Amino acid sequence: MTEATDLAERAGDRDPRIGLRAVSALRRLLEQLEAVQVRSARNQGWSWQEIAAELGVSRQAVHKKYGRQ
Amino acid sequence: MFERFTKDARAVVLGAVGHAERLNAETVEEQHMLLALLDREASRASFALTSLGLADRRESVKRALAEARRRGGLSRADADALSGLGIDLSKIVSRVEEAHGEGALEAERKGAERKGAGRGKGWWSGFVGGHRPFTQGAKDVLTESLRIALAQRDRYIGDEHLLLALAARPGVPAEALADHGVTYASLRRVLYGGGEAKAG
Repeated sequence: MTEATDLAERAGDRDPRIGLRAVSALRRLLEQLEAVQVRSARNQGWSWQEIAAELGVSRQAVHKKYGRQ
Repeated sequence: MFERFTKDARAVVLGAVGHAERLNAETVEEQHMLLALLDREASRASFALTSLGLADRRESVKRALAEARRRGGLSRADADALSGLGIDLSKIVSRVEEAHGEGALEAERKGAERKGAGRGKGWWSGFVGGHRPFTQGAKDVLTESLRIALAQRDRYIGDEHLLLALAARPGVPAEALADHGVTYASLRRVLYGGGEAKAG
C-alpha cells in the first residue's frame, strides 16, 4: 500500500485529525486559487458581475473581498 | 501585558511587522515572527538557536520559509493531508505557476489570510503600530509565549518564549525549524537544561 492510499484511508475513515486538517488545508488552498482566478479575470477585463456569476456569489460579495486590489 | 515583553521580544514583534511589509503581506504571520527571530543577535533565542547549530544555517531556514510561501503557505503536514484526499499540492502549484507566473499563489495569499486577523483588540495591540493586523495564528503565538513564560515562572516574556511558542505549534515555522534540528524539546533542553518538555 502506498503512503498516499494509506493516508487516503485514514482521511476517509479513522483518524479525524487527518481529515480535518485536509479540509482546513483545502479551504486555504481554495481561497488562494479563487484569488488567482479573480485577479486573472480582472486583468482580462471581466466585470465584477461576470466574476460573481461564475463563482455563484453576489457581485457585492466578490467586490468586497477583492475590490480594493 | 506588553510591558512584560523584554527588549528582544519587542524587537521580534516589531521585526515581524517589518518582514510582513518587506514581503508585501497584508497581515503579520507566524513565518514573519520566525524571520524576525532569526535576525536577533545576542538574545536568549539566538543563544538557543546557536546552541542547536543554527548559527550558519539561518539562510537555509529562510529558504524553507520562502519555499512554503510559494506553496501558498501550506505546510508539509497540510500537503500530506491533501494527498490523502487525492490532491497533489505540488502539481496544483506548478499548474497555477504555468498559467499565472511563478509565485502566483504566494502573491495571492494577502487577502486569504486576512480572515480572522482582527486588529487592535488584544493586549498586544498597544505596541504593534501600523495597519497590518496579526493573523489569528500569530496572535496565538503571542498568547502561547505568555503561557510558556508563566509555566516557566519567568516574570517576563522574552524572545526565547516566542521561539518556543513557534516551535510548539504545528505549521510552517515549526516544520522549517524541525528540519534544522530545532524542536520544542531541543529548545527546552538548551534553554532550561534536562527537564522534561511540557508540550504546548
